[in-house]
Amino acid sequence: MSSYIELKNISQSFQLNESTVTLFNDLNLSIFQGESYAITGPSGAGKSSLLMLISGLEKPTAGQVAYVKAEQRKTLDFLRADIGFIFQQFHLLPELTALNNVALPLKLRGDKQAINKALVWLDKVGLSQRKNHKPSELSGGEQQRVAIARALVFEPNFIFADEPTGNLDQKSATEIADILFACCQENNSGLVVVTHSAVLAQRAQHTFLLADGSLMDCSMAEAHNKQESNEMFRV
Amino acid sequence: MLTNNIKLAWHFYKQEYHHAHQRLLRWTQGVLLLFIVTLSQSSESIQNYLDKNLQGLLGADAVLSQQQTLSSAQFSKVSSLTNNVVMTQQIKATLTHNGQWQQAKIKAVDKQYPLQGELLTSRKLQGPSQQTLGGPALGEIWLDARLFASLSLNIGDQLLVANSLFLVSRVLQHEPDRLMEGHSVDMRAMINILDMKALGFSSDLINYRYLIAASTKQINSLIRWQQKNLPAAQIQHKQGDHPLALFWQRTENFIGLASIILFFMAAIAIEQLTQVHMKKDQYFTAICMSLGASSFAGIQVSCFKWIINLVLLLPVVILLSTGFHWLIVSWLNSAFVDLLWQWNYRPILKSIGAVVVLFAVFHTPVWFSLHGCAVTKLFNGENKGLSHWFTKISSIFVLSGVVITYSDNGLLTLMMVVAITTTIVLMILMSWITLTLGEKFTQNFSGLVPFTLFMMKQRIVSKSTQIIGVGLCTFLLLFTLMLLKDLGSTMASYQRQHDGNVMVSQATVPQLAFIENLAKQQGVTIRQAKPYMHAKLVAVNKQALAEFSQKPSESLATFARAIRLHWNESMPENNKLVDGHYWQGKEQPDSQNWQQISVEQEVMTDLGLVIGDSLTFVIDQQSFTFAISASHAFKPGAGSITFWVQMPTAALTHIQAPRYSMASLELAPQQWRLLAELWQKFPTLRMISLTEMTAIFDSILAMITQLISGFSFIIISLTCVVILASINALESKEKKKNSIIMSFGFSRSTCFRLNVIEWLVTASIAAMGAIVGTYLAGLLIYQSQFSLTYKADFIWLIATLFIILLLVTALGVYASRNNLRSSVRQLMSET
Repeated sequence: MSSYIELKNISQSFQLNESTVTLFNDLNLSIFQGESYAITGPSGAGKSSLLMLISGLEKPTAGQVAYVKAEQRKTLDFLRADIGFIFQQFHLLPELTALNNVALPLKLRGDKQAINKALVWLDKVGLSQRKNHKPSELSGGEQQRVAIARALVFEPNFIFADEPTGNLDQKSATEIADILFACCQENNSGLVVVTHSAVLAQRAQHTFLLADGSLMDCSMAEAHNKQESNEMFRV
Repeated sequence: MLTNNIKLAWHFYKQEYHHAHQRLLRWTQGVLLLFIVTLSQSSESIQNYLDKNLQGLLGADAVLSQQQTLSSAQFSKVSSLTNNVVMTQQIKATLTHNGQWQQAKIKAVDKQYPLQGELLTSRKLQGPSQQTLGGPALGEIWLDARLFASLSLNIGDQLLVANSLFLVSRVLQHEPDRLMEGHSVDMRAMINILDMKALGFSSDLINYRYLIAASTKQINSLIRWQQKNLPAAQIQHKQGDHPLALFWQRTENFIGLASIILFFMAAIAIEQLTQVHMKKDQYFTAICMSLGASSFAGIQVSCFKWIINLVLLLPVVILLSTGFHWLIVSWLNSAFVDLLWQWNYRPILKSIGAVVVLFAVFHTPVWFSLHGCAVTKLFNGENKGLSHWFTKISSIFVLSGVVITYSDNGLLTLMMVVAITTTIVLMILMSWITLTLGEKFTQNFSGLVPFTLFMMKQRIVSKSTQIIGVGLCTFLLLFTLMLLKDLGSTMASYQRQHDGNVMVSQATVPQLAFIENLAKQQGVTIRQAKPYMHAKLVAVNKQALAEFSQKPSESLATFARAIRLHWNESMPENNKLVDGHYWQGKEQPDSQNWQQISVEQEVMTDLGLVIGDSLTFVIDQQSFTFAISASHAFKPGAGSITFWVQMPTAALTHIQAPRYSMASLELAPQQWRLLAELWQKFPTLRMISLTEMTAIFDSILAMITQLISGFSFIIISLTCVVILASINALESKEKKKNSIIMSFGFSRSTCFRLNVIEWLVTASIAAMGAIVGTYLAGLLIYQSQFSLTYKADFIWLIATLFIILLLVTALGVYASRNNLRSSVRQLMSET
């Protein structure tokens, strides 16, 4: 049974020098397991804040949020065990080998098969040969592959990626995007990517633009544009 | 450019002022500077006090003392070499009055006394002092106030000394030559020199002291003459080491040894903090370099920042040390009357200079890491390689320097260093074994403990450093506290158990025979009785003692006067062989081979002696040379009377000298009256009862307790700083780890529990290492340095283990609460 995250009429604001800064107002969004989403927008628009709200790590100033799992509505606190993160800076632990970095979340959950499962995931991201290398011995692209394996190894329902290709060259970025989308699809995980990259955003099933405090569904606009142009072609 | 860099350093310093790494560095430097400056200020005050007293109150320019009177030829020679000579005689004897007795040092003087300075006496116990010319008249005795009080005397009373009656006519307030006699707590009495002759004491019990007025040149010729003609005599003079000064110097050296411990802790704290400083300064330098500046500018800013920190710290340190100095002077006023508080500029500057240089060496790795490094490397904060090892090597170099400088007792220092090194090695091994086995055996278990062990094992290098830091501090603290506790309880109970309640330190042959007879008649138990004769060491390997060893040590200080030379037929029960071959029973050396000797292990180490070395002693004005054939050490369990130097009984046929004995007796309460009888019969019998022994012991213990308490307080402060520094060094890593764990879907409380478990494991290993280290130090140091059996109190040790666990974990968890203030958002914001 597919689960989803629901955000209804949420607003987020914060205090700065005795004045209130509003990031967004009355925003509505649903994130379904197994589907991919991209959030784009200019710097400072509140993309990362939105990501924190969707993942349940921060609370909105107004509105309702819920996590629906097995047709049961729960608070987002229940989402915590079902999420994984991927960061622009990879954030691997420098003292651990690639294998141990991937095995980390499983070990924390007391999984006795942690190492075997980590090996399988390293193989999936094409790094089984470099399992004993430490992060400092890996390239940026390789580090991000390890980070993807680490985020997915405990099979979370949702993956949140913050500029996952922001630190990589074009070739590595494409490779990482391929792996990220493929793995999430294979795992049936919902994927939410915050990015400035139009190329990466286009690969998601749903694309949103966060600007001027509102969220615009670009995938619908795009589909609408596509349909219009097709009709014109027919004419 | 320079002004700009100073401004930049000032700005940078202000920005970092409240950051933990700067605050901890200030604390470490502050505590250590405070300790060293206060110590040097206080010791300078005491030295000044002693110098001032030596100038005005010595009573003579030089004092020649020996156990025999000078022959008339020798006296004429001394007189011709100097301006004036006055003879005094001293003997320890017991005075009795109305059934009460008291041992005192009796000084016999003539009309010429005092040679220099003022002799002060009074007509009443609390009366005003008057300057007095010449000593007591015949048949009169003057006593000091303590002796007056202890014998419940009044002016005009009659007092019995060796069956002769003396009229108590004055209260003795001050003898100008007393300081030259050394630091002594003996009660004092003074009689006429002709009365001393009439009392008929055996001449070998009297100490003859010749007060001499002479110029520096004359003193030098006198010393040359004495070395050639009277090698066993002692000369004290204004230019030389005064006994009290030497006593203080040794105390100072002991505190110096204690400060090594503090330096060790400061080194650990600064070493931990260096990692953070390196990272911060590297980052700043990288920014400067990326903006076109050279790495030299970065080093300059870092140096200025470090200097600003110290310059602003110094006024606080000086102010506080002044306060502590004042408190110490007030406290010492009971021992050093008229000791005044005063500013001592030179020692302040000297000690601050020395400590600042040490701090600079500790901090050098930071500047070294900035030199000749590329921007990218600096941005990444690489501190491995050369600079990493430079940190370790410079710390070891500095600490070795400190150990060598402060070392007074070679064996004690060596043992302390061995105990510290063993503890470090042990903790490294324990960390590795515990974490490796822990990780291996918990692999198949789920939960936070296996995960913590796994994480700690993966970060074993940084974790071991933290464990060693905490463990070493705990060890040093535990050892200090243990010493404080055991000095009181173990020593007191041990003395009572083996040594009886009366100790005879010097009994002549007839005196011992009388005691033995009395004991037989009255049923008194003699626990031990060991014979000895006085011998003065004058040369080692035919080289004069003063030339042989220049380094001050406990052993050398004792060899400056005659020691007790014991003889036996085989190894005493309370001794064990450490090296060489000891004469045993039937293997007694024959008349051709009697000149062998066994020397105590500590003395061998202090003086750097080896088996086969020759020692020349002057025994009753004759010179004898012995070869060291063995080295022995004290073995507890068979009484505490032991001797530094022992020779075979066969030697007695060749050496004619007065013989004495040391003995210990056990008297029942109803037998105490026998002591009065004994002292009346033998006023010169040196005997001390347990009540007197414990009184002296208690006063020493009280002083040691205060000293160690103050010292423990400083160690506790530094322990906290070290724990905080070690947490601060790992803070960024810990924060990141916690954020990553939260990104896996775990809550902050999971991170908290992980943190608690990690600190429990850290504290367990550190506590185990500290306890084993303390046990080892106890085994090594207690027996050899305090002649004590080290009986480990396991209940106390286990209780200590739990207290350490609790305190270190609590402090660790509390101090690392900042690490829990991490979030996934922080990971996102790092771009």
